[in-house]
Amino acid sequence: MLADAIRSEAYRLTRNRAVLSWSLIFVPLVWLAVLIGGAVIDAKVDRMADQLLPQLASARAALDLGDTLLSAAGQLANPALLAFLLIGAATVFSSDYRWETWRLITARNSRPNLIMGKVGTVKLMTLAGLGLFLLAALIGAVIKGVVLDKDLVFRFGGEEPRTFGLLFLLAYVRVVQFLLLSLLAAALTRSQLAALFVPLAVGAAQGLLIGATPLLGWSTIDWQTLLVFPGAAYEALKSVVLGGVPAAVLQEGLVWRAVASLALWSFIPFGLSLWWFSRQDLSKE
Amino acid sequence: MSAYPHRAKLDCMTAVIETTGLTKTYGAVRALDGLSLSIPRGGVYGVLGPNGAGKSTLFRILLGLIRPTAGQVRVLGQHAGDPAVMRRIGSMIETPRFPPYMTARQVLEWLALAHGMGKDAAIDAWLDRVGLTEAANRKVRGFSVGMLQRLGVAAALMTKPDLVILDEPTSGMDPPGIQEMRALIRSLADDDGVTIILASHQLLEVQRVCDRVAIFNRGKLAAEGKVSDLTASGERLRLSATPLAKIMGVLGDKGSLDGDAVLAAIPRAEGPGLLRALIEQGVDIDEARWVGADLESVFMAETGPARTDAQVREALHAG
Repeated sequence: MLADAIRSEAYRLTRNRAVLSWSLIFVPLVWLAVLIGGAVIDAKVDRMADQLLPQLASARAALDLGDTLLSAAGQLANPALLAFLLIGAATVFSSDYRWETWRLITARNSRPNLIMGKVGTVKLMTLAGLGLFLLAALIGAVIKGVVLDKDLVFRFGGEEPRTFGLLFLLAYVRVVQFLLLSLLAAALTRSQLAALFVPLAVGAAQGLLIGATPLLGWSTIDWQTLLVFPGAAYEALKSVVLGGVPAAVLQEGLVWRAVASLALWSFIPFGLSLWWFSRQDLSKE
Repeated sequence: MSAYPHRAKLDCMTAVIETTGLTKTYGAVRALDGLSLSIPRGGVYGVLGPNGAGKSTLFRILLGLIRPTAGQVRVLGQHAGDPAVMRRIGSMIETPRFPPYMTARQVLEWLALAHGMGKDAAIDAWLDRVGLTEAANRKVRGFSVGMLQRLGVAAALMTKPDLVILDEPTSGMDPPGIQEMRALIRSLADDDGVTIILASHQLLEVQRVCDRVAIFNRGKLAAEGKVSDLTASGERLRLSATPLAKIMGVLGDKGSLDGDAVLAAIPRAEGPGLLRALIEQGVDIDEARWVGADLESVFMAETGPARTDAQVREALHAG
């Protein structure tokens, strides 16, 4: 059953402390350290400013944790988080090739369930990773408020919860889409290194090549650009959510093209992996 | 009460494995070549053969890890690879490897979850049964080959399968460990009614623990039957007598020297007649007794002679 596959994969991942630390804890911790460091520098700058312009000292605005949350949600699918979540995903997707444990579990579940169990576990890990990043941003903001001696408020009304939810969902889809490249690499090559480095190489190549699209006469919202670069599709959708896209562009079907790009980049690697894995000789790893 | 209440469902089934014309090719190599085999329910069934004879290929097909090129195979009455059937099989193919960051207990807990078992897995009981209680909380990265084998056997058994496939289960074990494993296998077959299919190169162990064996050679079935029947077919009359030359003269090519004695390859019914003939020829008989062939000699007879020392040296020089 699929539930058994997810439970066992999640159990195995949670016992792998090294991988959990790198893929889930490292980036939020570094982010927290950066925020604290920034707050300390800001405090010093503020003290200097207070000495020079004492009349501004009482005019400082309160720190809004709602804004912090929204801002962090917009940064969730950042390259660092993608790269480090990839460590966990590559481990989950390739561990049965690496430790020759397919033969222990294939006899107990169907192959589609086994693959979907891994994908389900990586999705849970992604949710945890995104949640920890948001938590780090909130803790960083609280510490910043204490260090800067600012009042903390939490204003999160109107459109903000919806915007936050859409940004979180977009980031989740983008991260999972990227991690599914690791599944395909693992299934095709049976190698943990490939599962780790192929998505990184594809991501880096896309990051470099998107700068060359104007040479082809493609704009960042053309369907060709969106289809080839899922990162551009994510950024386009993020702009739509944040209200930064003109109505005329929206009418040209930008949202659907971007959604189609992310869907294709998710379902094609997943489908190919499933098809390949279903025919794979698992007696040799 | 039996630990295996569902076992009654199998009573009406006479064969747990049935293959017909089973063939598996890897390029030009025929790992299995039209194998037709029926493995009966109950007891311990040995699968023997030299390296490359097709044993592991058969096991991999039975476990749904690879698909046959041609032929039919039914496992517990169903098609091989069907998850419903696979859940009733426990297996350990070659030396198992486990995630090295896990303890022995965690490995079994992980597999229990994968198998949809909760607390029913009785993990402590299985750790105890394979002699790993003291090492239960040690990470498997520090385990010896023998300890990994024990853990692999516990993993194969903890789901209380109807059929267990073990490939070289005593590989890397010390003599007491081998003895314990033999006792465990026999107890599973005799007390719990599990059918065990066992492959091993340790022919003495196979002879001690198996009820029936199949001998594979080059992907084909060379011999099959009860261990007692196969070894009886190689029975010899051992004669301690003088003069040896006179005995050899009577026996012709049915006689062979065995130290100071002669082994006569004759049916048991011809024994009294031979003894009378030898006495009439003036042979002094000190002792005459029937000796059974061991499985090794049956195996060698079915799979071809081993190379002599001189042939091995020659091959090494040539290489």
